[in-house]
Amino acid sequence: MHQDPDPEAASPAPAVAVVVVRSGGIAGLTRRWDVEAEASDADEWIDLIDACPWDDEDADDDEDAYAREGDVPRGADRFAYRVSARMPEGPERHAALSESQASGPWRALIDAVRAASPR
Amino acid sequence: MHAIVPPYLLARLAEADAPHLADAAEAARATLALPRVYHPTLTDLDVSVEGDALVFEGSPSPDRVISDAQHRENLPGVRVRAEGEPAVADIAVDEAYDGLGETFDFLWDAFRRASIDGTGGRLEATVHYGEKYDNAFWNGERMVFGDGDGEVFAGFTGSLSVIAHELGHGVVEHSGGLAYRGQSGALNESIADVFGALTEQHSHRQRADEASWLIGAGIFTAAVQGEALRSMKAPGTAYDDDVLGRDPQPAHMRDFVKTTDDNGGVHINSGIPNKAFHLAATALGGYAWERAGRIWYLTLTGGTLTPTTDFAAFAAATLRTARAEYGETSEEAAAVRTAWSGVGVTIGASGS
Repeated sequence: MHQDPDPEAASPAPAVAVVVVRSGGIAGLTRRWDVEAEASDADEWIDLIDACPWDDEDADDDEDAYAREGDVPRGADRFAYRVSARMPEGPERHAALSESQASGPWRALIDAVRAASPR
Repeated sequence: MHAIVPPYLLARLAEADAPHLADAAEAARATLALPRVYHPTLTDLDVSVEGDALVFEGSPSPDRVISDAQHRENLPGVRVRAEGEPAVADIAVDEAYDGLGETFDFLWDAFRRASIDGTGGRLEATVHYGEKYDNAFWNGERMVFGDGDGEVFAGFTGSLSVIAHELGHGVVEHSGGLAYRGQSGALNESIADVFGALTEQHSHRQRADEASWLIGAGIFTAAVQGEALRSMKAPGTAYDDDVLGRDPQPAHMRDFVKTTDDNGGVHINSGIPNKAFHLAATALGGYAWERAGRIWYLTLTGGTLTPTTDFAAFAAATLRTARAEYGETSEEAAAVRTAWSGVGVTIGASGS
């Protein structure tokens, strides 16, 4: 129940909120995209979020982020992602992903957030 | 005259003992020593007349292959231009081909290094990677270039410093590597920028005080308020834009940025060693690759760095190189020490 007379605060909290932060790349530019969805059109977002293997995250510690051969780090200037999602139930979820990990369902979610984000 | 020299001619040149053919013989021996398991060795042979002598000078020539990902994200893509083939009707392909050639020439002319691996290995690049892909990267084997989204980035192959930067990552890896995280990652980035800036300066025959010291000039669209990705001369000033924000690079250790993004700020804190290189190069003057560049290159390839080398250890290593190459009390050693001190990286009195 919202008692606040401010009309903006009167709108109900979004059912789903997703934030994607992309850093790195040769430019080292950090870009942020986010989307919020009301309960009426949350189902599509919930499907996208549930499809991602959140429990397998921790990309930062995964040697796949910069695949190594012996002690030699390989590759440079790839993107790095942080993704967070809030849904009607359960705790907020977070994941840190290398570009190569941001594939499959992660890529689908990231692309959808970018497409729906104001800029 | 430029030609691909057949091995029998190289062998004869290598065995020549006439004094006036000494350079040619040495070059021929070096060329013959290059491994050729994976590729034929290409060599440019310059023949000139000096007095009554015929002078042969050999130098390695690049072996480039450019592929087109056709806007997909699969590598390598379709092979569209190989070494010696004529230009094609695709500016990204030709810019990549030419940029790899400029970088190859720089490495050989400045450091007598034959290609990324030092043994004349093939240079491979892929263009048109992905849809509106906003990046250029090194995947451990090849350089990969997106076309940009047309809103922030207008493409990446138009900047020689970007092409040489990616190739520089290859040189770093072949020299033992610097882990791509935190300070060692920022050094990896900075050394790639040094290769980028020096290749551009070498291509334009610019002295240290004439150069822009910009990385990626011209790759932003006209809509972006900014002239380049980074400035080695003035880190933190390359762009200041409504959407992108302000260039976050520090130029001094007191402004070192702690972050988990960007692999621990590897493209951000590289501003500190970038500025140190700029200070050393401008203090010494002349062509930056001749002394400052040589000191950095010999430090990278000297076998004393570890994958987790930090700024202080790298600074001490550059000072040791400068002392070994130019003398304990040389102006080069003094310039290196002063440069690092100028960005807040102190080297102990013993140089360690």
